Amino acid sequence: MNKDQMTPMERFSAYDKGEPLDRLPCVPVVGNGAARVLGCKISEFRDNGPLIAEAHLAAYRRFGYDTVRIFTDLYVLAEAMGANVCYPPDETAHLENSAIDDIAHIGRLQPVDPRRDGNLPALLQALEIAHERVGHEVPVAGAVVCPLTTASFLIGTDNLVRMMHRNPEGVHSLCEIALASALNYARAVLDIGCTFGLTEPVSSSTIISPAHFEKFSYPYLKRLCDFMHEHSKPVTLHICGKTERIWPLMADAGADCISIDEMEDLRKTKESVGHRVRVMGNVATAETLLQGSPADVRAETLDCIRKAHDNPRGFIVASGCSLPTEVPFANIDAMLDTVREVGWPVTVAKLDSMT
Amino acid sequence: MARSREEILKDLAEGVLNMDEDLAVAVAREAIDIGLDAFDAITNGLVVGMNRAGELYDQEEYFVPELLICSDALYAGLEVLKPHIKKDNARSRIGCVIGVVEGDTHDIGKNLVKIMLDVAGFEIYDLGRNVPLADFVRKAQEVGARLICLSTLMTTTMDSMAAIIRMLEQEGIRDQFKVLIGGGPISQAFADRIGADGYADNAASAVRVANQLFADVKAA
Repeated sequence: MNKDQMTPMERFSAYDKGEPLDRLPCVPVVGNGAARVLGCKISEFRDNGPLIAEAHLAAYRRFGYDTVRIFTDLYVLAEAMGANVCYPPDETAHLENSAIDDIAHIGRLQPVDPRRDGNLPALLQALEIAHERVGHEVPVAGAVVCPLTTASFLIGTDNLVRMMHRNPEGVHSLCEIALASALNYARAVLDIGCTFGLTEPVSSSTIISPAHFEKFSYPYLKRLCDFMHEHSKPVTLHICGKTERIWPLMADAGADCISIDEMEDLRKTKESVGHRVRVMGNVATAETLLQGSPADVRAETLDCIRKAHDNPRGFIVASGCSLPTEVPFANIDAMLDTVREVGWPVTVAKLDSMT
Repeated sequence: MARSREEILKDLAEGVLNMDEDLAVAVAREAIDIGLDAFDAITNGLVVGMNRAGELYDQEEYFVPELLICSDALYAGLEVLKPHIKKDNARSRIGCVIGVVEGDTHDIGKNLVKIMLDVAGFEIYDLGRNVPLADFVRKAQEVGARLICLSTLMTTTMDSMAAIIRMLEQEGIRDQFKVLIGGGPISQAFADRIGADGYADNAASAVRVANQLFADVKAA
């Protein structure tokens, strides 16, 4: 097995400059599974920045992937604005109740103060610690939940999607306040010296039409991307589920890298927008990484590389979405080991010999 | 002059399909006023519109918001028409218990499947979200349902679907029910592995699969 010769920072830097590297960047998007590496319970992450940092650093050292992403759940901004979130003892949190159930009560919502509200101070502390310890060798990223998704937790997804037809102005009002919260958090993350990724599951074409995406999500994504670019930071945008029809808009919004879920074909992504954006994805999280064998992971990782390694703006081998907590370590190892074995340069002959 | 049955049925369907709740309600009242059979107005009017909306959803022309608003128009029309259904039209429907398994509160997908199965003629018993596993088994027995629909978006709760099937086996009643599963992380392979009778990847295909599972009954 080829051992890594470069740090993730060196690898990304060489890749950006078109210089030789040791292997493709690889990001199995480890979320609360970091608790399994450290051996703590997920609920202990609540209000405990140092523990979140320890867990993610342990996972990074264990697997050697290329981005440390400090992420607990999608509800952090909505919770900090008043949504009610349930924290099971050792599973990822879920939304119990939205912050409001009627748009008439929008006046109750205030943009977050990330140094004070909800679990945001703990997340910032985790970012700070991780950045101090490994920020010189690996990108340490926060996760900013984008406006339409946070809006859905503020008023309930059923309500929000009906409002797209019945009260579009109300949707925009919610998105504006969710954007203000996202920007406040994003600013705090940048102040620490970290970067962040954007995550916007409710914008998926599995849920809303491309026309609604353009109307209710795109303008806010664009403002987040503009904010990042003003600070000379590249933006990675992840949208779960189906996205093929909105790839061009994701690029137009200003994403430098788009993260593609498992049901899409990376070859098509490459052909559609690969000259404009870097692409990452899309090994299946449940079917392959959670339930498959290391051999299954290897086969699908090779398939992804075959489809997208020659993407004009570059390719990051990744899971299609955040990993389920209980993904076996052996499967995460298999993903990285496959990328290490493919090595550099990536050639079709090499891929054929491994298949 | 009173409009023809055909015109009224067409407007009922279009009210639903075009998300025009006011039209669906107004024409439902008109149907009653001119003495149109309520059952006819539902099955050949409102339901036709909802099925067409389901087709557009399947073709990715309609999405979740559109399907929900069509269903709002459907149910608003039904409110008007249901009290007028003649008793002899109350045909027996196949009972269906549906819910999101315990540990998960994402229920939009489940709600869409519920609507489309209701329209397809199943008698729906909706247990809601975050449903304790034994409740599916108990409710299905209690109401004599023959279809059990399980939904989850989370990988953490997928195995609960297998647990429900095992409960049915342990109680020796597995063959009384068809189990249909779906949701984000679910696949046909997973359904096969846990011994579910069917898998559907969206609300429209759920109706197709359910109809296949009961093809013999529906034909009879």
